[in-house]
Amino acid sequence: MRSRFDEQLDLLNKELIEMGSLCEEAIAVASKALTDGDVELAKRVAPLDEEICKMERSIEAVCLKLLLQQQPVARDLRQISAALKMITDMERIGNQAADISEIIMFLGGKTAEENVLIREMAMAAIKMVTDSIDAYVKRDLSLAEYVIDYDDVVDDYFNKLKSSLIDMIAQKTADGEYVLDLLMIAKYFERIADHATNIAEWVIFSVTGTHKEVNT
Amino acid sequence: MSQKILNSILLVAAVVLLASVVIIMGCLYGYFDGVQEAELKDELSLATVATEQGGMEYLSQLSSDGYRITWIDSDGTVLYDTQADASTMENHADRDEIKEALKTGYGSSVRYSATLLEKTQYEARRLSDGTVLRISVDRATTATLVLGMLQPIIIVVILAVILSVILAKKMARKIVEPLNELDLDHPLENDAYEELSPLLGRINQQHYRISSQVRALKRKTDEFEQITGSMREGLVLLDSKGKVISINPAAMEIFGADKSCIGEDFLTVDRTHDITSAIRSAIENGHSEIRVERAGMEYQFDFSEIKSEGVMVGTVILAFNVTEQAFAERNRREFTANVSHELKTPLQSIISSAELIENGLVKQEDMPRFIGYIRTEATRLVSLIEDIIRLSQLDEGSQLPQEDVCLFDIATEVISALKNRADSKNIKLSLSGDGGNMNGAKGLLYEIIYNLCDNAIKYNNPGGTVSISIADTERDISLSVKDTGIGIAPEHQSRVFERFYRVDKSHSKQSGGTGLGLSIVKHAVAYHNGKIHLTSEAGKGTEITITFPKTKSK
Repeated sequence: MRSRFDEQLDLLNKELIEMGSLCEEAIAVASKALTDGDVELAKRVAPLDEEICKMERSIEAVCLKLLLQQQPVARDLRQISAALKMITDMERIGNQAADISEIIMFLGGKTAEENVLIREMAMAAIKMVTDSIDAYVKRDLSLAEYVIDYDDVVDDYFNKLKSSLIDMIAQKTADGEYVLDLLMIAKYFERIADHATNIAEWVIFSVTGTHKEVNT
Repeated sequence: MSQKILNSILLVAAVVLLASVVIIMGCLYGYFDGVQEAELKDELSLATVATEQGGMEYLSQLSSDGYRITWIDSDGTVLYDTQADASTMENHADRDEIKEALKTGYGSSVRYSATLLEKTQYEARRLSDGTVLRISVDRATTATLVLGMLQPIIIVVILAVILSVILAKKMARKIVEPLNELDLDHPLENDAYEELSPLLGRINQQHYRISSQVRALKRKTDEFEQITGSMREGLVLLDSKGKVISINPAAMEIFGADKSCIGEDFLTVDRTHDITSAIRSAIENGHSEIRVERAGMEYQFDFSEIKSEGVMVGTVILAFNVTEQAFAERNRREFTANVSHELKTPLQSIISSAELIENGLVKQEDMPRFIGYIRTEATRLVSLIEDIIRLSQLDEGSQLPQEDVCLFDIATEVISALKNRADSKNIKLSLSGDGGNMNGAKGLLYEIIYNLCDNAIKYNNPGGTVSISIADTERDISLSVKDTGIGIAPEHQSRVFERFYRVDKSHSKQSGGTGLGLSIVKHAVAYHNGKIHLTSEAGKGTEITITFPKTKSK
């Protein structure tokens, strides 16, 4: 009975890591499509998002089954409830990556290549997602803390980018629609970073049992 | 252990107790029986004498505690009894002892009471007047005695049990103590009990077998680790659940993992979607392979399922670094494409020129120009093919005649051959240095200097200079060709020695050349075990220095 429970927990763990890696891939593809202005590449994000959604459903089912059938306690319960919360964040990351790719398709080949800031912001967001999944895989508290702190870096990028976009409008170096699209993309990356922060917080919860208070 | 000892002690104690009780009872009872009987006889003979003298008078005076004396007439009527009223007593003539006494003068008998707990001993003697005096005493039977001894026996039994328990415990401890202190690592060095020696012998044997098996196992793991450790390919073994069983250093480097991942799921080592799905397809199809780029290197991952008696027991992952291979493949592909392209271009112009002439579209006065085209293109074609042939010769590594040559002389030859071309671009050629005698293939060395100078002129600015210098030192000979031309940008520097690689991608025929020159130089230098060093700065010029070691040639 117990070993079966452990097996199911293992399976949950594996699926969660896989879902995390899908998220990583989705935003990596989206940001590459953004910097290269590659519409074909951007089209690959939507199916990834779909797969992420499917995984969310299946992990949800596994979690609920575990809760119902095994009635876990203490650490196991924490792990399962944290998993339930994390998949929501991961699913949002996938969705936002898909949204970014939609905007890229809408941009129709216009690239953000010249825009160093947005590229760096994308890299920072990807790093946060990768690190948060890594923190989960290795149960690494310090890495999770690092991810939470790193959110400020992405927020900084967002503010910088916003002022540079305002400059672009003021100096009329780019058309307004393009600038707005870029702003949207930046906002999505900023949201992705927030979700990565959430994941890191749930990692801390699943290990220590206390949920880090969100500093608002 | 102590329970068993206790049981046997108790058994022994019980047997001994029972036996001693029976024997003591038997002996004592027999002895007291005899004593009592003798006493009874004495009493009887005393009483007989007294009765014959005193008669009824004596008897009535007798206080009877222990004995009961009865006087019976010769017909059996009781005359007197010390304990009961004689008149109420029945006739005693049929009693055994009386009958016997009447007959023989003396009789005795024993009768048991109804409960068997008492017995009465009777002794009778015939008096001289024919009457019989009988004396009797009640005595306890064996059963009564036993019953009487019951309490002390129970006490003894309880004592025996308590003693046995204590003793058994002590003994068990004492017996087991040396067993517990046995040094099982060196079973034969113990001298606990002689009875244990077969057991110890067997333990020793098993020890030996186990340690030899452990050694063999360790040797095998060591071998395995040494083989996999020195492998350049990454090797990871997974069990049927996808957990890492073993990972070699090369694989650790590729995946950026450490030893701690052993026993963990492979997903914790690498969770890339490509690899996860490749593992899955290996489990389904038995084998799969993918190429993945990681940290600037290209790796090929082979996934194979391990089967034992038809059951999947794990997966083996082999990772090869195929960067060079991929690079070579790309080069070959590019080379083939380039060769066909380079060969086709001059042919195309020859054909079109020839077609124009054939169709009479060329005026007579333009004829020499068109024929000139055809000739130059054909010459280009020939020089291209010659270059390719030379390259393939160098590729084959065919042996060329070695002779003593002088680099300075060859350089002079080259300069005179290129003089015209240099003059036409107003470029000054200069040669400095000395000797440079070495052993080598003259044709190749000429090719090296010619190609380097040719390039130096071709990519020079008008009015520039090309200086060739030869330095002859103890250890090596170095040849350097320096120009003041357009230079090579850093990103192209590593690739200019590739076949058909041109900094100017348009394959422009402006400069002429086949794109094979430097490639030939590279191979020819390698043939002489030399080294090429390129220093260049875009817009400032290029210096290529070639160093030939001396040791090899002499």
